Amino acid sequence: MFCSEKKLLEVERKVKANDREYNEKFQYADNRIHTSKYNILTFLPINLFEQFQRVANAYFLFLLILQLIPEISSLTWFTTIVPLVLVITMTAVKDATDDCFRHKSDNQVNNRQSEVLIDGKLQNEKWMNVKVGDIIKLENNQFVAADLLLLSSSEPHGLCYIETAELDGETNLKVRHALAVTSELGADISRLAKFDGPDTKLMQNSGKTKFKRTSIDRLMNTLVLWIFGFLVCLGIILAIGNSIWEKQVGDQFRSFLFWKEGEKNSVFSGFLTFWSYIIILNTVVPISLYVSVEVIRLGHSYFINWDRKMYYSGKATPAEARTTTLNEELGQIEYVFSDKTGTLTQNIMTFKKCSINGRIYGEVQDDLGQKTDITKKKEPVDFSVNSQAERTFQFFDHNLMEAIKLGDPKVHEFLRLLALCHTVMSEENSAGQLIYQVQSPDEGALVTAARNFGFTFKSRTPETITIEELGTLVTYQLLAFLDFNNIRKRMSVIVRNPKGQIKLYSKGADTILFEKLHPSNEDLLTLTSDHLSEFAGEGLRTLAIAYRDLDDKYFKEWHKMLEDANTATDERDERIAGLYEEIERDLMLLGATAVEDKLQEGVIETVTSLSLANIKIWVLTGDKQETAINIGYACNMLTDDMNDVFIIAGNTAAEVREELRKAKENLFGQNRSFSNGHVVFEKKQQLELASVVEETITGDYALVINGHSLAHALESDVKNDLLELACMCKTVVCCRVTPLQKAQVVELVKKYRNAVTLAIGDGANDVSMIKSAHIGVGISGQEGLQAVLASDYSFAQFRYLQRLLLVHGRWSYFRMCKFLCYFFYKNFAFTLVHFWFGFFCGFSAQTVYDQWFITLFNIVYTSLPVLAMGIFDQDVNDQNSMDYPQLYQPGQQNLLFNKRKFLICMAHGIYTSLALFFIPYGAFYNAAGEDGQHLADYQSFAVTMATSLVIVVSVQIALDTSYWTVVNHVFIWGSIATYFSILFTMHSNGIFAIFPNQFPFVGNARHSLTQKCIWLVILLTTVASVMPVVAFRFLKVDLFPTLSDQLRQRQKAQKKARPLHSRRPQTRRSSSRRSGYAFAHQEGYGELITSGKNMRAKNLPPTSGLEKTLYNSTSWIENLCKKTTDTVSSFSQDKTVKL
Amino acid sequence: MKRTPQDCPSRLPENTAVKQQQLPACRLQLSATGILSGFFATGVFCLGMGVILILSAKSSMEIEINYTKICASCAKLRENARNFDKECTCSIPFHLTQTMRGNVYMYYKLYGFYQNLHGYLLSRSNSQLLGTDVKDVETCAPFSKSHDGTPIAPCGAIANSLFNDTIILSYKLNSSVHIQVPMLRSGITWWTDKYIKFRNPSSSNLSSAFAGTTKPPSWPKPVYELDENDPGNNGFLNDDFIVWMRTAAFPTFKKLYRRLSRTQHFIEGLPAGNYSFNVSYNFPVTRFQGEKSVVLSTLTWSGGHSLFLGLAYTVTGAMTWLAAFSMMAVHLKLKGKRFSPDDKVKL
Repeated sequence: MFCSEKKLLEVERKVKANDREYNEKFQYADNRIHTSKYNILTFLPINLFEQFQRVANAYFLFLLILQLIPEISSLTWFTTIVPLVLVITMTAVKDATDDCFRHKSDNQVNNRQSEVLIDGKLQNEKWMNVKVGDIIKLENNQFVAADLLLLSSSEPHGLCYIETAELDGETNLKVRHALAVTSELGADISRLAKFDGPDTKLMQNSGKTKFKRTSIDRLMNTLVLWIFGFLVCLGIILAIGNSIWEKQVGDQFRSFLFWKEGEKNSVFSGFLTFWSYIIILNTVVPISLYVSVEVIRLGHSYFINWDRKMYYSGKATPAEARTTTLNEELGQIEYVFSDKTGTLTQNIMTFKKCSINGRIYGEVQDDLGQKTDITKKKEPVDFSVNSQAERTFQFFDHNLMEAIKLGDPKVHEFLRLLALCHTVMSEENSAGQLIYQVQSPDEGALVTAARNFGFTFKSRTPETITIEELGTLVTYQLLAFLDFNNIRKRMSVIVRNPKGQIKLYSKGADTILFEKLHPSNEDLLTLTSDHLSEFAGEGLRTLAIAYRDLDDKYFKEWHKMLEDANTATDERDERIAGLYEEIERDLMLLGATAVEDKLQEGVIETVTSLSLANIKIWVLTGDKQETAINIGYACNMLTDDMNDVFIIAGNTAAEVREELRKAKENLFGQNRSFSNGHVVFEKKQQLELASVVEETITGDYALVINGHSLAHALESDVKNDLLELACMCKTVVCCRVTPLQKAQVVELVKKYRNAVTLAIGDGANDVSMIKSAHIGVGISGQEGLQAVLASDYSFAQFRYLQRLLLVHGRWSYFRMCKFLCYFFYKNFAFTLVHFWFGFFCGFSAQTVYDQWFITLFNIVYTSLPVLAMGIFDQDVNDQNSMDYPQLYQPGQQNLLFNKRKFLICMAHGIYTSLALFFIPYGAFYNAAGEDGQHLADYQSFAVTMATSLVIVVSVQIALDTSYWTVVNHVFIWGSIATYFSILFTMHSNGIFAIFPNQFPFVGNARHSLTQKCIWLVILLTTVASVMPVVAFRFLKVDLFPTLSDQLRQRQKAQKKARPLHSRRPQTRRSSSRRSGYAFAHQEGYGELITSGKNMRAKNLPPTSGLEKTLYNSTSWIENLCKKTTDTVSSFSQDKTVKL
Repeated sequence: MKRTPQDCPSRLPENTAVKQQQLPACRLQLSATGILSGFFATGVFCLGMGVILILSAKSSMEIEINYTKICASCAKLRENARNFDKECTCSIPFHLTQTMRGNVYMYYKLYGFYQNLHGYLLSRSNSQLLGTDVKDVETCAPFSKSHDGTPIAPCGAIANSLFNDTIILSYKLNSSVHIQVPMLRSGITWWTDKYIKFRNPSSSNLSSAFAGTTKPPSWPKPVYELDENDPGNNGFLNDDFIVWMRTAAFPTFKKLYRRLSRTQHFIEGLPAGNYSFNVSYNFPVTRFQGEKSVVLSTLTWSGGHSLFLGLAYTVTGAMTWLAAFSMMAVHLKLKGKRFSPDDKVKL
């Protein structure tokens, strides 16, 4: 079945259980997980092949080949091969280490033990050796490393609970059941391996990991092409120059030299010169550029890994940069797409407040009389007297405890209801502690709260519920279970207490329940309503609580009708629903509960700070609309100050279109009249329009759209409307979206807004979104690993996103841009002197510098200072980066490195090369040394130029470095020192005596650098090339200071205590009553409970009970299957499995 | 670093300055006063240096006599390569109005001679010139071997094109007596060139040391006959040869030929009066439309007579000052209405 979905070729799978020979015929994949790329033998060829597939490496190989042709070889081969070999070796070492780690982790997974039935015996087998068709015995809490078909289990009715934390991060248990035919077969859980290794659902779904590149990468590639074009132009100019020179001067000069062998056609000579110059000038884009960029990114990644401020001690999880090539993109994010559960929220529900009989419990007043959540100062209620109390539960209002002690009947009834009306299953662990298995965390919170206040839910059977009421065990008879569903929005139980009274306990959404109340409740209702609004205003999830006393006769009649309805064949569901309606009326209101869907720490601050940084946050969640909106309010993404919140919840394409149109009209109508109706613009026009409109829109808007509508809205003709609307809203919340839709939304923004996107999530349902965004962030430290594995960065708490973007991202971007500017400048200055020299050496492709200098310049003399800057530089410190989120905006607007900046760097480089060449030229012309000897020999000229160049670029990097650490000092001074020591070594007598042909510059450094004249030249060159830059920068900072300039000035001016920004989030809102009723579980569990299917056999009471006969034994499972949409695919009713 | 016990020590990043990016550092943030005073100081320095350089350049003297055209008949003779063995001398009289005080250096200067061509520059064999292997002519193409295959010594295009004019300066003491101005040929090369880079092959007899090699095609005599009077100036160690082999960076260059020996009449330098150069005209510059001249020059503290550096320093100094003044103007004008950071940063 689902193999046909995954693989087109494989229509069906034939598997014989426990028959390896038969199954081997089909050559199904084995269960070994392979994520590694190489082994020892294949490493070298594959790795080299991969490396030379990179354009840069291939280009340098091409250059190397060019250099080996003697006619055009203007540089010796080692100038290219030394850096190339260095680079290839470094990359190979890095690839090898990476692969080692992959081998390790593969081995770890592959070597996990499983029990497989082989030759009629259970044998221990490594998971990697499990074959398709094997029967596997699993025990509680074991890992499963393949897709399995459940055959039978030790639980009644072949049920088994699985945790899918490694898949989707959800820690609640999911029910799976074996096929009826197989469930009878055996004890313990046995399973049949169905898909193995690379065929597993997980591996199939993991998708191809796209190779992500940053926008700087793309820009760099464009610029390299530009530069290459520029080089070709220079080459052509020089080649033409050479042709002309050869014709006019060269011929005669050659014949004077009797250089007959060298005689050649001037055009051909020009052609050769072209290639020679291409070789010489290629140093503008040296291979070290690519390496340095990688090294810098690696350094930044390590800084992320090392950051203690992104270390979560709660889970002992440090932040991790899993991809080391995207760092500077973190400084350019415009859109953040966030998952809700587990990302914004902790997926922990806590019972915060309640309103019982018109009185609020749980309010905490601090000294100022403000109702705040400064809970830490207050003494929590001491539950230690209660042996059953859950220790993690905290409540700060002592009044409730007192009310219980005083025996307030309403309070007792309230707590009793909480302990009785739920779908929780209890279990005792080995230590005798009660453990609750909860379907929805909301219920868990309520039952736990009741437990702590002395109404402990102990156990249940299909007919009874046993609770401990303030120390005494009371068993209630469960007469009926009126299950929850999305329409009813409530659930009820009907119980008979030991005194024989029959009671109906109901909890549900306030809007629904309030309609069912007895008229006598009016006063209480008003009061409770107010309380509910207050709760909702604080972002709490609320439930209304009510009960009804039933008399015996009435109930019996009703129950009879229910039985009839259940046996009815037609309109069964409708009849049952009607009966439920019938009995759930004239309820007596008890009060309301407020459960907090606990936000992760610092979420509000982070959200506020990111929006100040002009980052738009979209929440994409699988949750219900109410929940999602609630969280939106709780995180301050939605506020009551907003001009409008558009809710798109249409079910058909037409509805959605209409709603979008209305929303847009609304939006524009408030600002200016807009073209009526729905017009599909050309894409480009649309974007322009959007950006224009965006500026004119004032006020805050928000958009809430659900999954159904999104599916329609993502269709091509409405897509632009959606995008336009969404991009003008401050906040966008998409609820009930599927994983695929999450990715589609990300793709939409990526494609049409040209913006850099970041997706953050924690579960497997976020994987697609994480993969499709420019940057994917996984919340780690949870049990689920899928999101983290797919992500580029991972950390344990949403709040670290702020530091990741505003500090690390900003710095990375800032440093990378500075690095690139300097690097291009440096190499233009370095290389273009050859061009100028061409005009004086008959365009003969003679280099200005010594070959060794050319080889070493980029990798030894100037690499380290710029690397140190690229790794360590800071314009403002991290605290200021966090305090002033506006500093982030230059990155979004791409201001620090773009084509314009590049041209400026290039002009700067060209200017420097001019100064570098023409000042020595002028000074050497007709000059003589102090001892009268001629000064203007080629070698002295080369040394002078090289020395000036090294000094000028070192001074320049010193100016560019704004954060001088020890490392910078060592590298900058060290580079200059290295230059001089290598220079003197290479010009020494000793090395000349050994290699006279390789080091012909003997004595040059000694001779030239003792001449005052040469030092005067170097000094003048330095002054002339640096002063204009200083002047320009000074004027720029003086006239148009950026925020960062101002902050830097201030940082320097006053090292006083940093400004205290009390950006205490305003969580309190006045009005806006929202029905955020707290039900998150699926319907169907009521039936599960009343049928007793999910209870241990020993707990089962001897047959017959009121409910027992209601349904035949399998109908509830069918119902469950029918209603559980997302589990259908894995409930494999695979017909081809032959047993 | 102090670790609290509840932290998992293995995963908590270390609290070191490097890892937390808290390395102590000074932030380079130049203040307006700093930059402006730097500019003014640089300006003062450059202007001062410029003036000093110009004045000292002015104080030195230089005479250049271009004899390409003056010795027109010789030039014509040399245009035909077949006349290579015909002697041609030419005398160029000139008048020195002022005494040239101090050390006087005599240079020959060539125009339009490309010693910096890529192929030309490579065409030499350093190991041959080092005397270790006279027959190592591998890198000397196209002048590595003669037609019959004998290796050339010294091989290569540079050596082959050796400047071979001889220039003798004579002083007209009075109307009838001409005396030759005493000139030194020593000390015109770099020490490292003379003693490290160039060596004659070791042998008792120089001519036998060069046995098995032949002279470069344009040379009239083999290398071991360059100066038969002085063994320290013969063969590869010949000063003129070494000077020539140190190739020039630009097509116009002057190379040191001789320096004045300050004896007798010339203790002070070259006295004013009438002189003449007696040139034996061998080097055929007109064939490549080049020119040659002879230069007499005195030196300053910083070397040769060149105005360029002085001018460049002066201009740079002036520009720096100009920039400094305009920057100061801009800065002062803005000072009044500058925003404080807080005005712009609204949080």
